[in-house]
Amino acid sequence: MAETVIYPARRIITMNRATPLAEAVAVREGRVLAVGTLAELESWGPSRIDGCFADKVLLPGFIEAHSHVMAGGAWSFPYVGFFDRRDPNGRVWKGCASIDEVLDRLIEVESSMEDPNELLVAWGLDPIYFSGERLLARHLDRVSTSRRMFVYHANGHLGTVNTAMLAASEITSKSTSPGVARDANGEPNGELQESAMGLARAAFEKLIIGWSSPEAKWRFAYEARNAGHTLITDLGSTRLADPGQAEAWSEVVSDPTYPARVVVAVGTGLGGPVDPPSMADLAVRLRAESTDKLHFGIVKLVLDGSIQGYTARVSWPHYYRPPEGHHGNGLWLIAPDQLNDMVLEFHRAGLTIHAHCNGDQATEVFVNAVEAALESHPRWDHRHTVQHCQMTTPAQYRRMAALGMCANIFSNHIFYWGDQHRDRSIGPERAAKMDACATALREGVSFSIHSDAPVTPMGHLHTMWCAVNRLTSTGHVLGPGECISVMDALHAATIGAAFQLKLDHVMGSIEVGKFADFAVLDDDPLSVDPVVLKDIPVWGTMVGGVPFKAGVAPT
Amino acid sequence: MSRPSRKSDIAVTVLGGYLGAGKTTLVNHILRSADERIVVLVNDFGSVSIDEDLIVAKENDRITLANGCICCSLVDGLASALEQVRELDPAPTRLVIEASGVADPASIAAYAHGRGIELDGVITMADAETIRARTKDVYVGDTVLRQIASADLLVINKVDLVDPDTLTALRSWLSSLTGGRPMIDAVQGKVPLDVLLGIEAEPHRDDTRLNVDTAFVASDHHTANEVFVPWHMTTDEAFDREALLSLLGSWPSDVVRVKGIVRTSGSRGEPDIRMVVHRVGLRVTTQDDGPWRGGPSQLAVIGLRGPSDPSSWEAQVRATIVNRPVSRPGFRSPTEPTL
Repeated sequence: MAETVIYPARRIITMNRATPLAEAVAVREGRVLAVGTLAELESWGPSRIDGCFADKVLLPGFIEAHSHVMAGGAWSFPYVGFFDRRDPNGRVWKGCASIDEVLDRLIEVESSMEDPNELLVAWGLDPIYFSGERLLARHLDRVSTSRRMFVYHANGHLGTVNTAMLAASEITSKSTSPGVARDANGEPNGELQESAMGLARAAFEKLIIGWSSPEAKWRFAYEARNAGHTLITDLGSTRLADPGQAEAWSEVVSDPTYPARVVVAVGTGLGGPVDPPSMADLAVRLRAESTDKLHFGIVKLVLDGSIQGYTARVSWPHYYRPPEGHHGNGLWLIAPDQLNDMVLEFHRAGLTIHAHCNGDQATEVFVNAVEAALESHPRWDHRHTVQHCQMTTPAQYRRMAALGMCANIFSNHIFYWGDQHRDRSIGPERAAKMDACATALREGVSFSIHSDAPVTPMGHLHTMWCAVNRLTSTGHVLGPGECISVMDALHAATIGAAFQLKLDHVMGSIEVGKFADFAVLDDDPLSVDPVVLKDIPVWGTMVGGVPFKAGVAPT
Repeated sequence: MSRPSRKSDIAVTVLGGYLGAGKTTLVNHILRSADERIVVLVNDFGSVSIDEDLIVAKENDRITLANGCICCSLVDGLASALEQVRELDPAPTRLVIEASGVADPASIAAYAHGRGIELDGVITMADAETIRARTKDVYVGDTVLRQIASADLLVINKVDLVDPDTLTALRSWLSSLTGGRPMIDAVQGKVPLDVLLGIEAEPHRDDTRLNVDTAFVASDHHTANEVFVPWHMTTDEAFDREALLSLLGSWPSDVVRVKGIVRTSGSRGEPDIRMVVHRVGLRVTTQDDGPWRGGPSQLAVIGLRGPSDPSSWEAQVRATIVNRPVSRPGFRSPTEPTL
């Protein structure tokens, strides 16, 4: 008979109301055999007690229902972001608080590169914290005038290149692409916005290779483990339709030392053209190949852009203080009329649709499409989910509740871009209402919260801290009316996320029969001051009964 | 005379318009009726309907036709598709990019410059029956208005489905949105290729011979020559560049297309320049193509029949010829490219 191991802990928070707190959990065959008192567990028969978590707090493994494998792939490149960030190996990269600090890091990296033709690609740049100063080609030229360089910004919408890269990419004063930023003389200044980044093609190819490599998949899981996550989602970042993609995932994830479960969505990526029937076929076919560790079968659609990029679809009165020359509203990436057909196609195929909707108008159009699909093809328990759900209004939440839809709320935005939303993009009133966890809760919409890693760092202690405290990066509280309790935030990060991925029968709580997937923390989220929730050290995780310690370098 | 051959840029047309405006029908027409090597980049590969017997090769995201045309999917994005087009050998003469139904074609057009490709113009298609309602739609009205405002040429499609009074009112309303840029009526998306994509040099002959071809039937009840007036002139003399450009820019919107390969006089003893000039809608673009290499200057124009008056065009154009003794024939600059 398989061995039973009992893990006593300082405290176990089960997220199961019948046994909300426990002192130990018994694990057999990678599943929870029982949770309760030591005496209750020992009554199951022969067992071994493992005291390794005796001073730890165990929770259901955190579930990230909106992230991208690029979160791991990004670490193929040096980090130059503003905030300290821990890499998958556990090394903390000090934040670069000024342009000089960015350049110092790049000079260090550059000097260690042997091949002069190799591109230097860095990521995570966040110039909005540099009090108005922009990183430009002339700065990067101080690092190298001969090596091509590309610095990818944290928001994913901008890249800065040096003069050598401008020259190699034939970007000149004559370039007419709208995203090529210029100096007063009309010369490109090195900043490439949105699709103009594609002009630096060599850099983009290097990024894509970095993002889609097996190493990226491994680092993705290490990042998860370091943050206490046991299930992560690659929400439509890669072209799963490409030959070998599903197999590549399978090969990596099935390795017993791979420390996470993964959900991979069939997606439209950034809104490229799709053929819904063949996408639906693919998702249905892949779903049948799902294993305990690797899950396929959800569909990701992208309806609009980003709020801070002024490309999200925002209802009247649209944007608050948009930049000069802005059209007034954002961009559709899928035509609303086409969306109805697409949603119906996936809905009829029995798939769950996860739709990126940053602006409230995008939410509305998606909810309309789901409503129309349900009218022509009634279906119970679809769990179609509004992803990001940043500006969803109370009325929209009520419709979502009525239609059986879920929400995945981008709570990290409050900290990272909340000030900008209040002061520039949507104004004080709507910023106070954004990422409205309390409204979702009140209106009865099952919801989760997310990081959209690598857009913001993966880690539910941080997303929960945002949902609970709603503090911006300058320390302002953004809309205290939408703060939720730590318990509600824990629910969103565990069973709420599991529910919208249709995995709540096997994960999301510590309960008999479910996977032995735990977040292992050094302190108790229910006891600490909620304002330090994000600072609780993470020991690591247990996935299927196997412990994985955070910060251990891959071998 | 022999002259150095020069690879010219691939002319890019961006085709915009909301869902249902007829873009796909038009793309299918272009692919079927082209007699030159045109590449069409489409959003929805599944909607391209080409008779199987016209197809010589079919790959994942590319169809090659017997007439040399290629239809590619934009599934990997515009940047990647443009790179693939740049690498085609032999190079196509023209490239048509079908924008998605919610894209602003101007933002796509902005990428159609440089490294062997050059924007010709933005064509936006509007469905005569639904365009007005679309512009008032709470979700897509702003998007549709932007598509109209981006157009160099606006094709009003399905005009057979609205009554004449409605059409007149529609034209006048659209005109206020397009800043007076040309509008062309169409039925089932049928518009002559030269009107849509620009007047091109006859592909199988000496490329100094511009060939105006409006034969692509405009509609079932009008032949092209009932709708369009083609006009063509040649001269051995040199033009005053500024005067010619100013004239071409001043012509009203019933002049739908101009293409010229003209000799313009060099300043103060410099050799004459071979200038290629296009007008699509109201927009005039030029490209200096090195020193004049001999032969006649040519100008080809397509106007709308009715308002257009070809007899006045000739006099106006001739008035921009430089008044001077014809310079030495066959003059060649030492810097002339010898590619």
